[in-house]
Amino acid sequence: MKITVNENIVQLDDKCNIEQLLIVLESPLKGSAIAVNQKIISRSEWVNYQLQENDQVSLFQAIAGG
Amino acid sequence: MLTDAEMLRYSRHLLLEDVGELGQKDLKNGKVLIIGMGGLGSPAALYLAAAGVGTLVIADFDCLEVSNLQRQIGYTTGDIGGDKVALMKHRLEQLNPEIRVRSINREMDKTQLLMELMMVNLVLDCTDNMASRQMINAACVEAKVPLIVGAAIRMEGQLMFFDHSQEDAACYHCLFPSNEEQGLNCSNSGVLGPVVGTIGTLQALEAIKHLTGLPSGIKNKLKLFDGKTLDWQTFAINKDAQCTVCGKTK
Ligand SMILES: [Zn+2]
Repeated sequence: MKITVNENIVQLDDKCNIEQLLIVLESPLKGSAIAVNQKIISRSEWVNYQLQENDQVSLFQAIAGG
Repeated sequence: MLTDAEMLRYSRHLLLEDVGELGQKDLKNGKVLIIGMGGLGSPAALYLAAAGVGTLVIADFDCLEVSNLQRQIGYTTGDIGGDKVALMKHRLEQLNPEIRVRSINREMDKTQLLMELMMVNLVLDCTDNMASRQMINAACVEAKVPLIVGAAIRMEGQLMFFDHSQEDAACYHCLFPSNEEQGLNCSNSGVLGPVVGTIGTLQALEAIKHLTGLPSGIKNKLKLFDGKTLDWQTFAINKDAQCTVCGKTK
């Protein structure tokens, strides 16, 4: 299936949860936040959250600076 | 009641339908704790003092360094070496003698912070590290005090409002649950002054709206600011039932 991650198209296996997506993207699990279609998905839900065709995923890091 | 001097000083607020004399009195009765007097805290404190927020409590434990001046607009070159909170208190009192400013010149632990939270209506998190952010969030959840969080590095900013006086409020820990994570900061990543200033300014705007009873469009939301394109992204944050800070299972 096809999804977008930060507006880039990504091809995935048909069954893929958020944790698997981060592994595919080689993105660190810690310090990352994920939104699917403008909704933040809590880290506790990542393993159970199955991505769907055409989902718009936003991946970003915690910022601490000020 | 507003004095004649206050009527004159705040005349541009009094002209606003959304603020007016009632709103100005709300600001006068407002008590805001601003933690961190750096690139976010500088504009936030200056705007809230100028707006007539009656009691400002400002907290930091750093001395001013020359490398701060590129973005921390509350200070001047002659201030280098001084305690930030003492310098800022003086600056705010010069700006607006009608308000009260109290300074806290030490790193607070959670117990001390909880004491301070009993005396304010609102907290602005203007700190520069993840450990402080997690601790401030946990204390505000416990004390049910609304929290406006700002953060910035490089050319990116983040803004969130968690109104912990409301039962359904999500929290910072729902969004960033890992305590070990470092979080990018200004000294390891750099930052542009106007980017961090934009976020600090918007924390002040949200604070004024909250104190005057105006609705906020960003409660339980994360706003991401891109300083390159000036685009904003908005994400809804739902309370995480598993959250160890605000969830039922804590
Ligand atoms: Zn939470």
